[in-house]
Amino acid sequence: MALLALAVLVVLAVAAPFVQRAAPRRAGAILAAPILLLAAGFLAELPAVAGGTFASSSWPWIPDLGIAFALRVDGLALLFAILVCTVGPFSILHAGESLAGHPRLGRFQSTLLCFMAAMLGLVVADDLILLFAFWELTSFTSFLLIGFDRERADARRAALQALLVTGGGGLALLAGLLLLAIAAGTGSGPVFSVQGLLESEALREPAAWPLVGPAIVLVLAGCFAKSAMVPLHFWLPNAMEAPTPVSALLHSSTMVKAGVYLAARLSPALGGIALWDNLLLGFGAVTMLGAAFAASRHSQLKKILAYTTVSSLGLLMLLLGLGAAKAAAAYLLAHALFKGCLFYCAGILTEETHVKYAEKLSGLARLMPMTAVAAILGALSMAGAFPLFGFSGKELALKAELAAGSFGLPLVIATVVTAIFTVLAAVLAGIKPFVGAPPRLDEPSAESHADDRAAGPRDPAWPRLLGPLVLAGAGLVAGLAPGLFAKPMVMSTAASIAGSAVPESPLSALGLLWPPTLATALSIAALVLGIVLFALRGAWRRATDPIAAASAFGPDRRWNAALDGLMATGRLVATLLRGPTLTGAVRGALIAIVAIIGLAAWRAGPRPDLKEAAEGTTLLDGAVVAVLVISAIAAPMVGSRMGTIAVLGGAGAALAAVFLLYGAPDLSMTTIAVETLVVVIASLVAAQLPRIKTISGAAARIRDLGIAASFGLLVGWLALSVAGRSELKPVSDEHVLRSVPEAYGRNVVNVILVDFRALDTLGEIFVLGAAAVGVTAMLGTARRRGATP
Amino acid sequence: MRSVIFKAGARAVAPLLVLVSALLVVRGHNEPGGGFVGGLLCASAFALVALAEGVGAARRLLRIEPLRLVGIGLLVALGSAIPAAIAGFAPFTGLWVSLQLWDKASPVKLGTPLVFDLGVYLTVVGIALAMIFTLEESDDDAPAGL
Amino acid sequence: MTAMLPILVPLLAAALALALPGDRAPRLVLLATALFLPLVALLVMVRVHESGAIVVHVGGWAAPFGIAIVADRFASIMVMLAAIVGAATVLFSSGEAPDPRTDRARSTLILALLAAAAGAFLAGDLFNLYVWFELLLVSSFGLAVLEGRGNQLAGGIVYVVLSLLSSTLFLVGAGLCYGAVGTLNLADLGVRLAELGNPRLATVLASPLLIAFAIKAAVVPFVAWLPAAYPPLSSAIGALFAGLLTKVGVYAIIRTSTIAFVQEPEVIGFAILTAAGATMALGVLAAVSQAEIRRILSFHIASQIGYMLMGTGLALVIVATTPSESVRAELATIALGGAILYILHHIIVKTNLFLVAGLIERRRGTTELKALGGLAQSDPAIAAIFLISALSLAGLPVFSGFWAKLVLVRAGLDAGAWIVTGIALATGLLTLLSMMKIWVEAFWREPVAAAPPPREPGPGWRPMLAASGALAAIALAIGLGARPAWWLARGAAEDMLARDAAAARVLEGGPETPTGERREPRAPDPEEPRR
Repeated sequence: MALLALAVLVVLAVAAPFVQRAAPRRAGAILAAPILLLAAGFLAELPAVAGGTFASSSWPWIPDLGIAFALRVDGLALLFAILVCTVGPFSILHAGESLAGHPRLGRFQSTLLCFMAAMLGLVVADDLILLFAFWELTSFTSFLLIGFDRERADARRAALQALLVTGGGGLALLAGLLLLAIAAGTGSGPVFSVQGLLESEALREPAAWPLVGPAIVLVLAGCFAKSAMVPLHFWLPNAMEAPTPVSALLHSSTMVKAGVYLAARLSPALGGIALWDNLLLGFGAVTMLGAAFAASRHSQLKKILAYTTVSSLGLLMLLLGLGAAKAAAAYLLAHALFKGCLFYCAGILTEETHVKYAEKLSGLARLMPMTAVAAILGALSMAGAFPLFGFSGKELALKAELAAGSFGLPLVIATVVTAIFTVLAAVLAGIKPFVGAPPRLDEPSAESHADDRAAGPRDPAWPRLLGPLVLAGAGLVAGLAPGLFAKPMVMSTAASIAGSAVPESPLSALGLLWPPTLATALSIAALVLGIVLFALRGAWRRATDPIAAASAFGPDRRWNAALDGLMATGRLVATLLRGPTLTGAVRGALIAIVAIIGLAAWRAGPRPDLKEAAEGTTLLDGAVVAVLVISAIAAPMVGSRMGTIAVLGGAGAALAAVFLLYGAPDLSMTTIAVETLVVVIASLVAAQLPRIKTISGAAARIRDLGIAASFGLLVGWLALSVAGRSELKPVSDEHVLRSVPEAYGRNVVNVILVDFRALDTLGEIFVLGAAAVGVTAMLGTARRRGATP
Repeated sequence: MRSVIFKAGARAVAPLLVLVSALLVVRGHNEPGGGFVGGLLCASAFALVALAEGVGAARRLLRIEPLRLVGIGLLVALGSAIPAAIAGFAPFTGLWVSLQLWDKASPVKLGTPLVFDLGVYLTVVGIALAMIFTLEESDDDAPAGL
Repeated sequence: MTAMLPILVPLLAAALALALPGDRAPRLVLLATALFLPLVALLVMVRVHESGAIVVHVGGWAAPFGIAIVADRFASIMVMLAAIVGAATVLFSSGEAPDPRTDRARSTLILALLAAAAGAFLAGDLFNLYVWFELLLVSSFGLAVLEGRGNQLAGGIVYVVLSLLSSTLFLVGAGLCYGAVGTLNLADLGVRLAELGNPRLATVLASPLLIAFAIKAAVVPFVAWLPAAYPPLSSAIGALFAGLLTKVGVYAIIRTSTIAFVQEPEVIGFAILTAAGATMALGVLAAVSQAEIRRILSFHIASQIGYMLMGTGLALVIVATTPSESVRAELATIALGGAILYILHHIIVKTNLFLVAGLIERRRGTTELKALGGLAQSDPAIAAIFLISALSLAGLPVFSGFWAKLVLVRAGLDAGAWIVTGIALATGLLTLLSMMKIWVEAFWREPVAAAPPPREPGPGWRPMLAASGALAAIALAIGLGARPAWWLARGAAEDMLARDAAAARVLEGGPETPTGERREPRAPDPEEPRR
């Protein structure tokens, strides 16, 4: 089923642009229908999964590395699969309407379908590498979707920001997953199978701690970046630049929950380890509270929803840290239902009224009753009102915290405060726009478009309405009669998170309300206080202005500064790497060379045997060496090019003499011929060059002299030190021995050139040929340039 | 510079130099010499003509574009690998024939390495002349003091 | 013989390009040869994988006495990559208008460059390697000069000066090695340096050579030439250089440090790892800050050389320090295999990104980011090719770069090399940033108001697009079908790490000769006089 679903989504993604072109008006429905069938298929698997039978399949991918294309559908995976396959098609339908006529709609639907495939793959993957691959694919498709309105700079910035934050987290995650796999393998190659990892005993061994400790930090860093935990949360509110279908699908119900998913997935293996639990609890609690506070101060519809999403993600992380599997599962489901619903409603509101701010909207219930029903149901669920499923989720969360004993108390307080803020946000975003005085449509709004105003806001057609209504209805049904689908989903998900079946307990709203407990009382108190706060929201915002200004809720503001800093550093590094000037670059390279070889030589400490080296040296040798040394020193001293060329010619002649003295007349002859030719050519060139004016200052010359001399001395020192160190005969002895009998030549040098090492000679004549071609071409182009100034 | 004496001298010396260069190649396998030195010497003969009578005259004397001569030389050098390859040995394996020119003479050994050396010779001639001709021509064309 | 074909065929073609009459002949010879070379490389690859490494004793002279050409699995992969890069860039450049004044020189030099690259990959002898390096340098400089536009010469001079420095060091190193142990054959060098019994001295001998290769590979602190030399080049030549030149240096580092200089792997490995970390980090930082596509790509080359060195250094350190023998062999193979897989992916992808820069230039007349925009709308084909290549480069799964990065990171973590692994991961993120910067600025954003309208692609557009598209397809195939790519890389790494077997293969068993006897290498006879 999982593989079939993946295949269907990929096929649809490929087909989407063509479908869009062929049937522009019905494309949304055509693309959404097969996915809803997939959702039904997954739902049909629910009884079996709830009963503990999981479908799994595996194909070898890179067996040499232990990587498999393995899929497994357990309770947790199934919950997400169903969410993807229900919320997903609603987004497609919504986009088909709201973006109708957009030239890039086909590509948009295709990307959305790609995302769905990636998200589905992520949750059903049973191989860490496969999981990671899908994880990154969701980040990248999210990037493309946020940047859909690519003409707007804000959208481009938000897209890049989301990609970098989640991508950076992804890299930490990769390292963390690899460490876990290595630790689980205990020296016999990493375990990439997720099931294998969860069943591994090795992770909890003290010996594995040096790997597991860093792994926990890295994996959670990845999860936190993806699920927008403070302080990596800032990308998510900005991601609201994306069109509504994207916000509803990616940034509330599925992709941002990938971090939660992975933390839940690894809970059986890592839950109970203090570091893991405390990180989840700490970051979860801070995020939950902080984001809810931020939400309470916003009035833009999508921002309110975005911040409450961040807050809910914090609560989920917190619950995982507590080990409250059932509460986490229930809240996960509840949040996906009500938040998806509210995002669609917010999208419809903005599309119909062209107003983004909740404060400016009121009394729309009469104009758009169906939307109002869906939004109010969703808002009530979000506020945790009886009898919606949001109530059940919050009750279970509070119960779990109360059961946690003494350190649960601060958590309970935080959760209640969060709940108060959430109620405010829910009423403002989901209820306020629909009640009260009807909108004064005659007053022209700055954000409205002239041609749309005539029609006025009204309920959209079914493709946009279906999603919110179904999700809101599901939230109501789940609260009233969880046995229909919510209970098996929650119980099997909780079993996956806990690693074993969890005990039965009431899940319906009624079952949780009665008999009342402390949790019930707190829940009701939060609801009441939240409504009070809603009424006083103006005063609340004014009162909290200083806190908001003072609090460091501004990683987003520092984002630009950070990027600018990165660019400035980069430019500095680039200048450094290029070298300020040509001579600077060469000087730097030479210093590095001398340092590295010098270090190696200093370690080895070779000593030249000067006595042996001097043995058998004649006066003639000395004279030739003297000529060489003098011309080397003189060459840079001479003020004119011609002079330098002449001096270098002298050095060449001395070199030829060396060859002659050591019995290589051939080399000597060739050297003289080459040197002569070089002097001639160099003179021809030099005659055309301008006169040298200044070379460099005295200090620079002394520094350069130092560099050059140390390089030369080092090489000379090494040459004297290593020559003849071993008793091994050089291969040239063989050349001498074999020249006449086997190569039929008495001139060993020539035989080496044309026979023993003919390939080298062949290469060298090609080098010379290429040089001739190059020089001819260079002079040719130079002349052409001169001819046509 | 282009005095009559120099011209006449160059005309006289150039063929001699070419002859000597050829000799250097032929005997190179046994005595000092070889394709490389030979090639340089031969090139200097043409360079002399170029100096004496101008590049145009030297080019006419050579009859072939120097770079094409490079190509041909490289082909000859590469070609010396072919006989061995056809015979199933590693490329550039020397294959030799022994020629008894007349009865009492010591046999002359000819082999693919000599062909290779000939290729080197032609290549070097071409390279040296390509550079010298181009440089001298640009010398003529370019305005002074550029 | 087969093993030498990748060298001899392009050499022959280069000579023909010079010798044949007619203005159009060189271009035809070039195109035909470049498209034929992948087949030659395939032949070598199949032979090597069927029956093991091929050793050719050139001229029939046994190693270490003569020159050995060695085609093992690593070399055969590199030869194949060079052939693919050559075919793609030549096909691409066939879309450019002919210029009878430079076509002959250009064709000759490109063919010489391809031969030199193959020669460097197949050389089993230090001096022979030097010769191919020289040919590579001279032909590449000739090509750079030939392009002759803008500040070409200024950039070219840095390249030439540093390359000459590299050549000098190479010669010094080769001379020192020969002076110390009297051989130039790489395998024999390893054997004799071991007999020398002084590991630290062996490292001294290695240092000039490794630095010479590091200059070629543009390793920090020797990168200065790369950002100066590449950006001004025309697209096809730039792509050819970007794909091949630096990788020859990396290849030489891997080759010599696994077969010749094996006395102190932990020291050399540590040095390589340090350089790898610095190169990765500094290269990518510099790349992120640039605002012109070719300059961005050039700095990325350096950065990615770091990844290749990371695998190499890790393998050496693992060989030296891991106690358990079975773990050691496996882990070292994975690390080196990762480096080789990275090379494999990088050559294809980086070549293609330079080609994409050429396509963009053809359409818009510039590659400055601030003057571009709207390419996703106007040229969806370029956008698709760029996206595939860019995501591969950034190492996003399941593109080709991901697998290489995955293997390297896994080896790094397993070996406990935290710092360099961390740098590698962070570098991946910054690479993604700079690739997406290009994407956002050049493809997404609306074109700036002052920008000239897109030009008509004109004649020759099809071969250009085909060349680039083919490389993108190969990159995609490497990514999705990671199994064969990893099989190749792993096999190559195994060949490299089985040093004793590799040395025996080269040094034992002399070639057959026309006289019917085998020329075996003679045992050293200490009684005979040295001179």
